[in-house]
Amino acid sequence: MSDLVVDCQGVTRVYGDDAVPVRALQGVDFGVAAGEWTALAGPSGSGKSTLLHLVGGLDRPTDGTVVVDGEELSDLSESQLSDLRLRKVGFVFQAYNLIPVLSAVENVEFIMQLQGTDPAERRERALSVLDQLGLGDIGERRPGELSGGQQQRVAVARAIVTNPVLLLADEPSANLDSATTLELLALLRTINEERGVTIVTATHDPIVMGHASRRVLLRDGRIESDEPAASPPSNA
Amino acid sequence: MKFTLLVQLSWRNLWRHRRRTLILITTICVAVGSVLVLNALLRGMQMSMVETAIDNLNGHFKVVAPGYLDDPGIKKSFSFEPSGHPELASYGIRGWTSRVRVPAVIRSERETRGVQFVGVVPGSEDISFLGDVEIDGEYLSGSDDRRILVGHALAQQLETGVGRRVVLITQGVDGGNRESGYRIAGVYDAVGTGIEKAFVFTGITSLQELLAIDAVTEVSVRLTEGVQGPPVLHRLTRTFTDLDVRTWQDLEPQAAMMHEMADATVSIWFLIVMGALIFGLVNTLVTAVMERIRELGMLRAIGMRRGAVIAQVVIESMITMAIGISVGVVLGLLGYFWLADGIDLSAFSEGLELTGMRPELVPRLWAQDVVLVVGLSLALGFLASIYPAQRAVRIQPLDAMRR
Repeated sequence: MSDLVVDCQGVTRVYGDDAVPVRALQGVDFGVAAGEWTALAGPSGSGKSTLLHLVGGLDRPTDGTVVVDGEELSDLSESQLSDLRLRKVGFVFQAYNLIPVLSAVENVEFIMQLQGTDPAERRERALSVLDQLGLGDIGERRPGELSGGQQQRVAVARAIVTNPVLLLADEPSANLDSATTLELLALLRTINEERGVTIVTATHDPIVMGHASRRVLLRDGRIESDEPAASPPSNA
Repeated sequence: MKFTLLVQLSWRNLWRHRRRTLILITTICVAVGSVLVLNALLRGMQMSMVETAIDNLNGHFKVVAPGYLDDPGIKKSFSFEPSGHPELASYGIRGWTSRVRVPAVIRSERETRGVQFVGVVPGSEDISFLGDVEIDGEYLSGSDDRRILVGHALAQQLETGVGRRVVLITQGVDGGNRESGYRIAGVYDAVGTGIEKAFVFTGITSLQELLAIDAVTEVSVRLTEGVQGPPVLHRLTRTFTDLDVRTWQDLEPQAAMMHEMADATVSIWFLIVMGALIFGLVNTLVTAVMERIRELGMLRAIGMRRGAVIAQVVIESMITMAIGISVGVVLGLLGYFWLADGIDLSAFSEGLELTGMRPELVPRLWAQDVVLVVGLSLALGFLASIYPAQRAVRIQPLDAMRR
């Protein structure tokens, strides 16, 4: 179990009050090994995004434990959780969530700025990642001047530039067309295979599920099935 | 490092809504500029009242016999030998003079009036209004000059003028009348007709001879510009142990009250204007924060701490205030220099005389007032940003991103 990047035991998350409780997760046991690409699938309300947010330290479980890279999240204070998200977790959101007043390269640099990386180094690394993702020529543009696909790729660049232990992607293809989705998935596969980044994706998109190495199906807050993908498509 | 990042983000956020930010900055400019100009005018009024009170034969301090202020008269005179008081020539004192002042009746061929008959050392009266007053005729030549100076308004009442003779009647130490005829050397034009009607001047020795005394009723002391009064007052009090040393505030309580009211008015005006401005600032910041609540949620999701988000909002407010205040101070200075030659209020001179003001209002802008306005504005800007900043972090990152 020591090579698990994510280890959830008996995780329950209940929203609402005692009168009308909403059980988003009910005693889920879930682990992710280093270097794995796991897709959390299921219909709306199944609990996949809730589980993703708990793993990312954006939410706290009502019951159970969540351990990320050896750190028990319920033991961490608010600011320690912020530090964990900053240093160990990369996020890719459905709505890109880039900072509109910063250029693409500045968005990628942003997390390194929060980490206190030297200016010259962070600029070099940001440009290098953008270049690797095929965004070398749009670095100075602001998000409003980029297409949806380009914005999502910049968001991926921002998420991986600090070499996080874990990359969490919440419905990353929701606002993309099929062709752009395939481009993004090819990119995530490269990151997963070549950089060895552990990825957890919450999605109800079959194309995304098909690219993951493991598919976990949730329904009504419980894991219904957990199986390796048949044969993830190759980038080649 | 992080501070630079926050400043960079805050700066760019400010210009997302360029027009809104410019309107806010303009409002701050106008508020700060107008506060400074009004402040300068109020200080001008305040100082005008103070200078009038000091010029009006009071000085900053006056040494009198005990009980003189309750019953001013020649019976409350005291012996004064300048050589026995070398501290009057010490640091902080611009000048001093001794006088004999008695109530008297002045009589011309046609009219009779009650006046204050004042024996002065003409060469030392540069510490009072008499030193730079306009005179039709001649100034007194010395302490033993037996001629008199009368005010323009009094001369009109008495229907007399330069070179004419009048009679002055007063009371001696023994209670008996003392009466003498005097030739008018000059007619002076003071700031107010009240002064012109009140004071008749002659040489101090001449009046002492009339009263058959070798004493004075007051020693008036004027400070050097910018010198603090309390240390000098302390020195004088230690020197004149058997006498009373009174401040101009004791001698002119109405002017002193107006002086304090001006201080309060400056503060009240500042609080009203800046208070209204702060409501606008809070409103704008809350709007700006709520507009990008998703983004702030995302920033916290990727690892920005609550404190950094709060700091970002506070820095935005402080940058806005700093720009507005800087330009506002420049506007205020321009307004001040535009009015620096003074505003002619002679049309209201009768009313102004009641308040002790001069008919020309010269604004005074003190560095300490500018520092106070700038400091308080920044402090208010800081306080105004706390509530929007708290709102920005009160919501959880996930909730913020779902909006």
